[in-house]
Amino acid sequence: MALQLNLLHEEISEARQRKRDPLKLGMMALIAFGVLLFLYYGWNAYGTMQIKSQLTAAQAEWEKVEPKVTAAQKRAIELARIIDSTKVLDQMIEDRFYWAPFLATISQCVAPNIQVTSLSGNASDTDQTIKVTLEGLAAAREPRAAAEDLRQLLTEQLEKSYQNVEVTFKNLEDLDTVVNLAGVPTPSARFVLNVNLSSKAVTEPKTVAEAPKKPQSK
Amino acid sequence: MKPQKLTKDQIQKIALSTLGFIGLIYCYFSFFLGPLNKSRENMTASIATVQDKTSSSKTELKKTANLELQAKEATGRYEALKAMTADGAPIAWFPPKMRTFFAGQGMEKVAARLESTGDFGQPEMSDWTKDRWEIDLPQSDYRDLGKAIAALENSEPLLAIQRVSIIAVPEDPQFQQATLAVQTALIKK
Repeated sequence: MALQLNLLHEEISEARQRKRDPLKLGMMALIAFGVLLFLYYGWNAYGTMQIKSQLTAAQAEWEKVEPKVTAAQKRAIELARIIDSTKVLDQMIEDRFYWAPFLATISQCVAPNIQVTSLSGNASDTDQTIKVTLEGLAAAREPRAAAEDLRQLLTEQLEKSYQNVEVTFKNLEDLDTVVNLAGVPTPSARFVLNVNLSSKAVTEPKTVAEAPKKPQSK
Repeated sequence: MKPQKLTKDQIQKIALSTLGFIGLIYCYFSFFLGPLNKSRENMTASIATVQDKTSSSKTELKKTANLELQAKEATGRYEALKAMTADGAPIAWFPPKMRTFFAGQGMEKVAARLESTGDFGQPEMSDWTKDRWEIDLPQSDYRDLGKAIAALENSEPLLAIQRVSIIAVPEDPQFQQATLAVQTALIKK
């Protein structure tokens, strides 16, 4: 068996040590790992760029929509205000008391032996009640009965159109003076009637109010 | 083979490499990947927000379009009611308007005066003003007056007669002296 002598032992050992240099190996590992990390970073950066382009697209779409939305919001507020105002106005119009049909009813109830000298009426917008005071003269053999007929007729006729009708005498007094009724001297009485009613009509309020007939006078 | 014992120099190099590795990891996550991920998360959140806003805006646009359709009648009606207020101060045009109106009804003697002016209590009516007028008709026939009141109530929806006073004229029983207190709703101009 041949004897092997390694005369370059030290050189070989140094070369081996150089190859196994921890710093060199570490640097190589570090570079390899760095490359991997860089690739991973690149992949992430690519994804981020895609997301950025999505964001840009979304923002562009929003910028296109935003002025329309702002205008639409303003318009919606305006429309809501218009709708609310119209509702209130419509309610006001509906809640109005129509005097013409009322005056027409009064004139229809006044008989030839009755003369209304004064009519004064108030429409309350808080509780929707109507208060009317009628003053006049009734002439008949029984003037008080004539005035009472007027009161009853008014109640009857007004109840056809209005709610909570109350017709009451505030005053009724015989007069000493005698009036001429169709050439006949007739006793007379002065009356004051209070008429209270609710402005809410029994039926729908007349959109075309009737004009009253000419009242009868003695 | 017997494992070689690490020299001091080698240990130093290994420690240096380890430090370099730690530094690399730290720098990578702190200055590269971390901010990148953060910015990506922010952008994702922004996209979600913008898309939400866009989609809700589209819903809002649809709602407004629907509201516009629903409010078409109200809008037309509101415009018609607004058009009933003439330009200028009401004191300048309302009395002449009433004079012309009652003259058209056969009543020449008419005087209208402003009693008071104010705002409505309802917040919806902030653009409207409430005026109270007194209209004197010193010489009116009861039938003509009734017709005129009917025509006034039908032609002026924003006018409400609040008080009526009719008194027979003793000297001339044919005529009555009438006073109307009316309230008008007029748009502020």
